[in-house]
Amino acid sequence: MILSGAQIVVEELVRNGADTVFGYPGGTVLPMYDELFKNSDRINHIITAHEQGASFAADGYARASRKTGVVIATSGPGATNLVTGIANAYLDSVPMVAITGNVATSFIGKDSFQEVDILSVTQPIVKHSFVVRDISKLAYTISEAFVIANSDRKGPVLIDIPKDIQTDTWEYEMSKTDEEVKENKKVKEDENPDVLQAVEAIKNCKRPFIYAGGGILAAQGEEELLELSKLINAPVGLSMMGLTSLSSKYPLNLGMCGMHGKYSSTMAQGNCDLILALGVRFSDRATGNVNEFTKDRVIIHVDIDAAEIKKNVHSEINVCGNVKMVMRELINQLTPMKNQVWLDEIEEYKKKDAPSCDDNFSPENIIREVNKFAGEDTVVATDVGQHQMWTTLYYDFIKSGTFLTSGGLGAMGYGLGAAIGASVARDKAKTVLFTGDGSFAMNLNEMSTAVSQNLPILIVVLNNGVLGMVRQWQSMFYDERYSATTLDRKTNFSKLADAFGAKGYEANTMKELRTLLNTLELTGPVLVDCHIDMDEKVFPMIPPGGSVKDIIVKGE
Amino acid sequence: MEKFTVELLVANHFGVLNRITNLYAKRGYNIDSLNVNETADPNLSRMLIVSRGDEYTQTQTVRQLNKLYDVKEVTLMTRVKL
Repeated sequence: MILSGAQIVVEELVRNGADTVFGYPGGTVLPMYDELFKNSDRINHIITAHEQGASFAADGYARASRKTGVVIATSGPGATNLVTGIANAYLDSVPMVAITGNVATSFIGKDSFQEVDILSVTQPIVKHSFVVRDISKLAYTISEAFVIANSDRKGPVLIDIPKDIQTDTWEYEMSKTDEEVKENKKVKEDENPDVLQAVEAIKNCKRPFIYAGGGILAAQGEEELLELSKLINAPVGLSMMGLTSLSSKYPLNLGMCGMHGKYSSTMAQGNCDLILALGVRFSDRATGNVNEFTKDRVIIHVDIDAAEIKKNVHSEINVCGNVKMVMRELINQLTPMKNQVWLDEIEEYKKKDAPSCDDNFSPENIIREVNKFAGEDTVVATDVGQHQMWTTLYYDFIKSGTFLTSGGLGAMGYGLGAAIGASVARDKAKTVLFTGDGSFAMNLNEMSTAVSQNLPILIVVLNNGVLGMVRQWQSMFYDERYSATTLDRKTNFSKLADAFGAKGYEANTMKELRTLLNTLELTGPVLVDCHIDMDEKVFPMIPPGGSVKDIIVKGE
Repeated sequence: MEKFTVELLVANHFGVLNRITNLYAKRGYNIDSLNVNETADPNLSRMLIVSRGDEYTQTQTVRQLNKLYDVKEVTLMTRVKL
């Protein structure tokens, strides 16, 4: 069948399961957009307000659906606007295929209109990238991109397609299958993990601690994690990326550990004699001072990416492989453990994480109230900053994959796009976004997308009028010199929501918020502007470079 | 600190050299010498890269290179104390 390049792109997207794509049209993607128009019954294209929003939406879509997110942008500014979204997907290992148009091959290298060498720009932040200069390779390239993005350690793949390749024609045959593409590359997933050393170490320890991360979600190893923790009676601390890999109802799930982790989780990590690290990469935000972190304990590191082994932490025992399979093997070889003394100690730590008893209009109470409104199936997205940490501390996640946040990159402005992507991925399901006035202002233009798609997204703005997280650091480490963090803006977010065609409300007390949520019918985007105190801080906190010994808790 | 040589078998097309040298540049590792030749199979090239670093640097270099999709084989060759 003779097809144009643009038609081949559409056929390959469909074949690879991309029934929804996010993007923004422009000069060099006109042929592709023409085909998307003709094929709108097969591919749902969602236009955002900005390419960055589209890239975050594709990311949120991928995380909420576990499929590969697809984003399309034109050359030049369209492509450069994707950069933050691609970097975000790279640092959080999210499967994404980004397709950019480019000027025709005969115009490349001439500083043509809207020409940017996007391959070079994105090179350090992609898992792999392609420029298609030969239409005979187009179909195979797209299939290959999908396989690379969603295998091993997942990540973003960029395909740059010049305009003349989109209009050229070629005899299209169903391209090589995914399996054939896989053969071309070393895929580790089938290797038999050697866990002998790990098993011996676990058997000999008295105070085991499981530190689980995003790898659990990527490998879909939630069941194994629960089983393993129950078997050896080990409390579990989670990295931010792994936050939903266990239900918060499970008593040994202590929640996030690290710089702003829960007290019990961080204390357990700091007082254990063995850390079984599963699908984590030991981010500096999670470890603090690495020497203190590793002192007097055995560390077992399990990860699919060999380059992560001994990169940040010197672990004595290492298993490189699919974390789900490694856990299964551990379960097979281990016998039940009790660790009663250790578990009693954990119970003591947990007392400091008890919910507050007041009815103040505090971030904690606001988040807990929204939690009651949302229910356990609802996906929750956040932006970046204090509200993000408060969400990890106070929101009780039950189901796997219901928390979307910018972990590694820490990109303010991530949340709204991600919430849009998640809602779309789950058939326009109710979705919650916790954001701050700083983060929200970065990409609030995407409210127009939420309105045009009529998505039931509850946007909760924890509005303190300042850049709270930076202010907290300035308050604690810079003698309260609040450089450029007091915003002094006059933005009325609820009126702004109305102006976008969404519904806007304000809340200043818990009573107001409760009344609002009790009567709220979420049939489209709704924003609630919650005015909170600018000096609310995130605690517990381990100061940068510190260890569990330096932990600061609320009111101390 | 050691001088160390890495031997690579890589895809023979444009942009590959860039990806590899960028990996060194990102981490601030200077390349002392670089040698690239097409192999008998025109789809593949062989590279020899001499750089300096401690054991951590060497291991990280090899593992990070191994992650690149265009890299088919990586071998840590000679190591000479400086």
